[in-house]
Amino acid sequence: MLYDTLKALCRLSGVSGSESPVAAYIQKEISPYVDEVSTDAMGNLIAHKKGNGAKVMFSAHMDEIGFIVNYIDEKGMIHFSPIGGINLRAALYSRVVFQSGVKGILVSETGKADDPKYATCYVDIGAYSQKEAEKRVSIGDTFHLVGDVQSLSSRVWAGRPLDDRVGCAILIEAAKALPENVENDLYFVFSSQEEVGCRGAKTAAFTIMPDFGFALDVTATGDVPGANPMSVCQGKGAAIKVKDSSLFCYPPLVAAMHKLAKEQKIAHQTEVLPAGGTDASAIQLAGAGAYAGGISIPSRFIHTGVETVDRRDVLACVELTKALATADLFALCGISK
Amino acid sequence: MSLLQELQKQCALFGPSGYENEVREYLQKELKNAGYNPHTDALGNLFVEVGNPDSPFTLLIEAHMDEVGMMITEIEESGLLRFGCVGGIDPRVLCGKRVTVRGKDKHSLLGVIASKPIHLQSKEERQRVTKADAMYIDLGFTSHEEAEEWLDIGDFATFESAFEVYGEPAVKIKAKAIDDRLGCAIMLRALLSLKEKNISLPYRLVMSFGVREEVGFSGAKPMTFRVRPTHAIVLESTAIADLADVPKPSRVADQGNGGALSLADNGTIYDRSMIAFAEHTAKEQSIPVQVKRYVSGGNNAKHIQQSVGGAKVLALSAPTRYLHSAACVADLRDCEAMEHLIWEMIMHFSTYLESEV
Repeated sequence: MLYDTLKALCRLSGVSGSESPVAAYIQKEISPYVDEVSTDAMGNLIAHKKGNGAKVMFSAHMDEIGFIVNYIDEKGMIHFSPIGGINLRAALYSRVVFQSGVKGILVSETGKADDPKYATCYVDIGAYSQKEAEKRVSIGDTFHLVGDVQSLSSRVWAGRPLDDRVGCAILIEAAKALPENVENDLYFVFSSQEEVGCRGAKTAAFTIMPDFGFALDVTATGDVPGANPMSVCQGKGAAIKVKDSSLFCYPPLVAAMHKLAKEQKIAHQTEVLPAGGTDASAIQLAGAGAYAGGISIPSRFIHTGVETVDRRDVLACVELTKALATADLFALCGISK
Repeated sequence: MSLLQELQKQCALFGPSGYENEVREYLQKELKNAGYNPHTDALGNLFVEVGNPDSPFTLLIEAHMDEVGMMITEIEESGLLRFGCVGGIDPRVLCGKRVTVRGKDKHSLLGVIASKPIHLQSKEERQRVTKADAMYIDLGFTSHEEAEEWLDIGDFATFESAFEVYGEPAVKIKAKAIDDRLGCAIMLRALLSLKEKNISLPYRLVMSFGVREEVGFSGAKPMTFRVRPTHAIVLESTAIADLADVPKPSRVADQGNGGALSLADNGTIYDRSMIAFAEHTAKEQSIPVQVKRYVSGGNNAKHIQQSVGGAKVLALSAPTRYLHSAACVADLRDCEAMEHLIWEMIMHFSTYLESEV
């Protein structure tokens, strides 16, 4: 069921700023399990499961990296700019699809593939003139790589954009599995525009003003040839964030997460991410601040069309999310209200 | 007074980031004369609020009063002044330019920017761009003491540049500070028209004249906290790179085709419903408008979009050549099209809200 949700989520197009198809799908999935679903000016989807305890916000981002059309030339070729941290080399000579469904291929000017630059790459949609191309694609349209999620083995899934539809799937699964009445006042935020600087989470956190906040997002691993030294391994459980380049998680909260995972026998590991940021930073700094943490899904080859995750890690993250959603976090962290 | 005359008046004002008071005083006077009661905050942002204060919808229209300039950092023994740039200025456009320094008691001191002359430069020096810290401002003083009588470290300077209209037809406007006095001029004139025509709007409209946009420490953040807009339009100037040696896909916009609507820039991905509203209004009223093609630059929309609970933002910019120099060049037809479009959007904003719901 989790795999079906994830596959369905990954089939949707949602480059930063154009997340509405993802929001529409999630709204339909999660509505029966929460009290209220709302959206805001940034395009965030906020699902609220009411309670009387601590205000706890979980955030997973709906958007994915991609491209935006900025010019259509006389030959009908599409010129574009990146949205988010694109690895252009990894995107070259790949199939792409526009949010409208138009298909294309991302290629380079002949002879310039060794050192691809945006000025020398373009998308061929099979049109022979500007006029023909403009009937199908407009300036400002967004597109992304094609890469449906597939099972590589009984444990490993590969495809795009697992960053961060896997986080969205985890939140949906956790919301479905929670008991009808939970003490905590829970907000499941499906945020917009994370890939361009955690923009959506900032406004969502400001609206909610949570006591505690958690980002559910992918994290890099150190377990592939040539990887930067890093302790996180795919398959070793939910990664409990200590820091990334955008925040230091609240130490007593990190300790509480470890304690909960240990008690409930949820596979877990410790994450220190040398480069990269998450929505947790936006939550931490909203208003007068919140106690922030991160549940990370170990993922290889992030920001390519072949990102991977391990099913067991994903399930561990669902369990940890549920555990946090039902825990007395003030008591666990030793904070007097 | 025409838009061109208003723009000429405002471009002549002295207002580098952090020293917007002369621009603000001018706007305050004009607004008070028209019967408005403008407010300011601790940073110096200037607000005017009109329309229905009880409406759940607030449209913010924003432009910034500040311009790029310089600040005096050191007075040399010789009486020459070392300076730093306030805002992003290409050092190549500095040398040889006339400047005005606002000295003690607001004295205007005219001078020029200079550097070591070419015949004294080494071969290496000739081959690289002279940086601002190797240049100086010459106000004609002959000693430190003499200079100190008139000015102090920390005093501001701006380009000194005549406002001129050229071209055939005569539509090209050359001036300093078009970025963003054009936005200020359009907003002021819209406010005067609203008063003159005695128009009452069914929604809350706030016009904000901002400070310190050019230095990134934007006054827009606290301004947005105060105003709490649901929708916002940022009036700006954008560099356009429409010149001969720039390949077509890299050109941002074309002069003469109207104001440029941003789709995405380095700070913001703009709201599609607001873009559609602008395009629809332009089409209905036959006003030229274009989209900014390239993902580049950034402006206050970033702060407005993300502050508090978020707002739907739009940026409408004048396609401007040679931005952040003494000789910015805008096209009068674009400026007038922007003014017309903003007016129609103010008039039709309620219709947009209905269609949005």
